[in-house]
Amino acid sequence: MAGRGKLIAVIGDEDTVTGFLLGGIGELNKNRHPNFLVVEKDTTINEIEDTFRSLGSVSGSVAEANPSQHDPPLWDEIDSWQFLNRDDIGIILINQYIAEMVRHALDAHQQSIPAVLEIPSKEHPYDAAKDSILRRARGMFTAEDLR
Amino acid sequence: MEDLVCPLAVLPTAGGDGEGGGSGSECVSMAALDLRAELDSLLLQLLGDLEELEGKRAGWLSLAKARYAMGTKSVGPLQYASHMEPQVCLQASEAQEGLQKFKVVRSGVHAPEDVGPREGALRRRKGPTKTPVPQSSDAPRDPLNWFGILVPHSLRQAQASFRDGLQLAADIASLQNRIDWGRSQLQGLQEKLKQLEPGAA
Repeated sequence: MAGRGKLIAVIGDEDTVTGFLLGGIGELNKNRHPNFLVVEKDTTINEIEDTFRSLGSVSGSVAEANPSQHDPPLWDEIDSWQFLNRDDIGIILINQYIAEMVRHALDAHQQSIPAVLEIPSKEHPYDAAKDSILRRARGMFTAEDLR
Repeated sequence: MEDLVCPLAVLPTAGGDGEGGGSGSECVSMAALDLRAELDSLLLQLLGDLEELEGKRAGWLSLAKARYAMGTKSVGPLQYASHMEPQVCLQASEAQEGLQKFKVVRSGVHAPEDVGPREGALRRRKGPTKTPVPQSSDAPRDPLNWFGILVPHSLRQAQASFRDGLQLAADIASLQNRIDWGRSQLQGLQEKLKQLEPGAA
């Protein structure tokens, strides 16, 4: 693993994740946690947030928890997802509409690695005004700074 | 982005009682001018990076259309392999302190059609039969094969599009890092400038 380089992780809808796995970024075996999460309509915001902040589930790459109740065993698994805490992930790709759900978590992420990249989805085109990186860059210039 | 050398690093220490204040203030003014020049350069670089990033995202959007080529519900998580090895990885390098750059690296792909006798179609079956040895079992399997041996052309096109998209992702991530790095450098220089010229702040 040390000589292989860093992984690209993806948090997205079914089409997005399937597409990027087709591109060859997927890692899944009995010893390591998957580097992807398929977000479906039943996926809760907490699950997405936990995945983003921490990555590495033992089983399955699809989170389909019932939003109306918390399933203790599922939460135990979700707690082990460690995207940000893994040192072998270089980039996290995330659909922008999903990023909006966990915007506070994205805005709190200041490290250069892993880099977080917001991408469009089939049903949600990309909006530069919502992107965390671009908003930070646009907000740093004021009229006083440019004097 | 060339190395930025803060002019403050070469500032002579000023006298505590104000003696030699004339030459001291000249030093400060020159340092402030140099600092402003550095700020302008960094600002221009940042604006250029932002423009380049916007341009790359416009190309990125076209990949969303490629997903339509993936077809029916037979292409989805149910077809994912239970064991996956990444074919695409990232090489992260540090161009400058705190500035990370990414490069996509592809490992060898082991496709079923590569397995087979390397000799011609006909083999002489004399002596011990030579069993064709497949390539290293460590080579990752093409994810295209999750969806069958004969897959539609549109799926291959989608794979090619997403592979192109991965390189684009690495470029955009590198640009984002550079923008963030430049932003922090700019803030640092602005703070130092305010200390040099509190009246102008």
